[in-house]
Amino acid sequence: MRRINPIPLAAVGIIALLALLVPYLGLPDPVRIDVPNRLAGPSWQHLLGQDEVGRDILSRLLWGARSSLTVALLSATIACVIGTALGVMGGFLGGVVDLLTIRAADIVLCFPPLLLALLVVTLLGPGAATLIPVLALVYLPGFVRVAYAGVLSVRHQEYVEAQRALGVGKLRIMLRTVLPNIGGPVLVQFSLAMASAVVLESGLSFLGLGVVPPSPSWGLMIGAARSTMAQTPLPLLWPCLALTLTVLSMNALCDAVRAAVDPHGVPPRQRRWLLPALLPGLPFRAGASLAVRDLTVAIDTPAGAVRPVRSVSWSVAPGETLAIVGESGSGKSLTGLAVLGLLPLVARPEEGAVLFGERELLRMDEAALRRLRGAELAMIFQDPMSSLNPVHRIGTQIVEAIRAHRPLSRRSAWQEAVALLARVGIPDAARRARSFPHELSGGMRQRAMIAMAIANRPTLLIADEPTTALDVTIQAQVLELLAELKAENGMGLVFITHALPVVAEIADRVVVMYAGEVVEHGPVAEIFTRPLHPYTAALLRSAPPEDGSLPQAIPGTVPLPQHLPAGCAFAPRCVSRRDACEAAPPPLEQAAPGHDTRCIRWREWQRLPVTQGAEA
Amino acid sequence: MTALIEATNLSKQFGGRGLFGLGGKPVRALCEVSLSVARGEAVGLVGESGSGKSTMGRVLLGLTPASGGSVRLDGTVIANLKGEAARGLRRRMQLVFQDPYSSLDPRRRVSAQIADGLLAHGLATRAEIPGRVATLLDQVGLPKAHADRYPHEFSGGQRQRIGIARALAVGPDFLVADEPVSALDVSVQAQVLALLADLRARLGLAMLFISHDLPVVRSLCDRVVVLYLGRVMEEGPAAAVFERPRHPYTRALLSAAPNIDPLRRRRRILLRGDPPSPANPPSGCVFRTRCAWAVAACADAVPALDVAGPGHRVACIRVDDPELAPDTQPDGHQ
Repeated sequence: MRRINPIPLAAVGIIALLALLVPYLGLPDPVRIDVPNRLAGPSWQHLLGQDEVGRDILSRLLWGARSSLTVALLSATIACVIGTALGVMGGFLGGVVDLLTIRAADIVLCFPPLLLALLVVTLLGPGAATLIPVLALVYLPGFVRVAYAGVLSVRHQEYVEAQRALGVGKLRIMLRTVLPNIGGPVLVQFSLAMASAVVLESGLSFLGLGVVPPSPSWGLMIGAARSTMAQTPLPLLWPCLALTLTVLSMNALCDAVRAAVDPHGVPPRQRRWLLPALLPGLPFRAGASLAVRDLTVAIDTPAGAVRPVRSVSWSVAPGETLAIVGESGSGKSLTGLAVLGLLPLVARPEEGAVLFGERELLRMDEAALRRLRGAELAMIFQDPMSSLNPVHRIGTQIVEAIRAHRPLSRRSAWQEAVALLARVGIPDAARRARSFPHELSGGMRQRAMIAMAIANRPTLLIADEPTTALDVTIQAQVLELLAELKAENGMGLVFITHALPVVAEIADRVVVMYAGEVVEHGPVAEIFTRPLHPYTAALLRSAPPEDGSLPQAIPGTVPLPQHLPAGCAFAPRCVSRRDACEAAPPPLEQAAPGHDTRCIRWREWQRLPVTQGAEA
Repeated sequence: MTALIEATNLSKQFGGRGLFGLGGKPVRALCEVSLSVARGEAVGLVGESGSGKSTMGRVLLGLTPASGGSVRLDGTVIANLKGEAARGLRRRMQLVFQDPYSSLDPRRRVSAQIADGLLAHGLATRAEIPGRVATLLDQVGLPKAHADRYPHEFSGGQRQRIGIARALAVGPDFLVADEPVSALDVSVQAQVLALLADLRARLGLAMLFISHDLPVVRSLCDRVVVLYLGRVMEEGPAAAVFERPRHPYTRALLSAAPNIDPLRRRRRILLRGDPPSPANPPSGCVFRTRCAWAVAACADAVPALDVAGPGHRVACIRVDDPELAPDTQPDGHQ
């Protein structure tokens, strides 16, 4: 949980403190009548004036806050404790308990809260002591519902199932694991109930069903001042102001609590970041459909900029497949996102250029880039469910993609969408186009994503782990489809993945990234048979071998961009490390035409027999 | 070898009851699956999503009740056990999850989560807990000093180690590992596989290793069971099943796995479409709708699991047909 915004916290704190300390403030007795001075204006003895029977308004206001807040706090607490307990039991135990608790709460929820309160108070008679259970009853179902919903989502989390597998008792699981994980929403519900209880208490007192006169209460004060409103409006203003301020600060606190509990609540800081000026003419591969030159991506942190992608260069020719491989944290996905101008808001391209044909993407404004994305430049992601809109039919989504870039009628765009779905191998495409994403299997959804990506015949497709979430049989289908599409349209393909066998299967050239840098770059046949960088060799050995022996792990983990070693970034995990490796960062050297490596010992690896590559 | 855990004709149906019997057709997740794991043995359970492999693991552990069939642990039937006896069984069988993120409670220190099992079974007093947690962390290759950290302070591979330590805390004989490395990077996968292999050797753990990644299964398991739409298609020693797969489904599955050697691209038997819905399985052999060798007779009856070699059984009526000899390819495929 992050820190709560201090302003609403302080406001509510001051109100609570005042209410708590009234008896010690030396204020006049709130019930002492002083009829000669009735309706007197503010004076030094009576800062806010006197009411219709001459009682001190300030004193009554603070004593009223005391009773309002006590009633609100007690009723909200009782509702919270009982309601959460019922909701947790109903959600976690299920069955009969579920039926009894949740349905009972639903029945209470059916009554309008004010009518329910009126009914009970009329039956039991007015007074603060009746108000507390009445308000608790009114707010109880809200807590039951919130806790129940929370438990339903937590109940099937694997960490809860793990505890069941361990044989931990149900009560213990509910108290130690489920309760803390639903704490956030319950806390928010609590502050909402508090604010609303203050209003309801005043309302009931106003109607003469709450606090009994002459005890001070905001509702009673409003009621009394209403009758003398024509003579002097001030006595009416004060309790209304107090009520408004209290509810406003409680609602603000409620928002602040929600923001602190919700991990997604970070407000966006800045939009896309454009590099200042055009670079002088850069040499790039002739005929390349996309060329990335010396791309550096920076993330600004309080401790200075970190660079998760540093000076990365590569290019793809039309009809060529380039694979970018690396572990999590290697910067491979950020590179892809930077090319498309889709970097997360905290990250920005710092240096370099991305040349797409004649155009430079890093210096292009968002509107021009948007025209390019989804048209000539397309991307598919690992999880199709997060990229397809769950409330629209897939056909409609493809139609939108087509019409965003081409002036076609809905009807002909729909026909094209159906043809595209058939092209990517979705059986019965005309009917499937009317399906919603959740009605399709994972493989079908990935096909629909691909259909959408190729809808405007892109010249380049960037695919970020497009098959990682799929079964091997479906993966084989999708890989075959991508190969066909590439051959048909002469489309360039950038395939970002951590799965080496898939790379061997689909790629023409490979870029191996480690800790934000390219460590090796070359044709797939050379990289896989004679790697010239120990990291590539280690990655190859860590894939389970054909003969059934155990793969060899790479010890350690990828360093974080803020804790990079002084020399070669891979040196701490490298079995072929020499002292020179730790002295200075090695440069990317050309070992053969089209084959680069960032290892100072590459000449040794080159002399090793094929399939052995860099030292084991 | 005597079986440590033995499942006989296990079936599991989901749904089909609903309110007033309107819940729709039941989904048959498992259909008369028999499976045994000997002490110290590692059995791989492979299949596509929807094959029922995860359900199998949960039914074996008693986390999901079976609809039919029985599970025995050391000869004792474990269904319907309640109270102390059920808790004793829980201690002997543990689960390692796929997702290293959702399987740890984000709000509790890892030491407390590892200690849960120890306390639940009274295996250690409060005073002994820190020492036991340190030993367990050491066993899975994590520094003892990390016991008081929260899950978010660890990487995916480290979290998976914590999940394994939590399972080992109660001293189980049998571990169900449900896709324990699929969510990890390839280099970290290898680390966790090495850890599992090492623990199995040192502690004599029996293991059911559920995975869709065939090379990973092969590197760790002695035997393999291939599941499709809740039925066993083929089972046998890992070497035999991987070298000479007999069932058309196993062959397709193996040929679909990409090969790391770019110069040795496999001839591929590409399966068309998705597996049929388990709510509405095909008659006869459930694989026939995607099988390149299917004939009319395949629709008639559910093929029995017949012996095809030592410890090797296959459910295919055409298993001895010369057209299906191990080196042939179906018509129309390259």
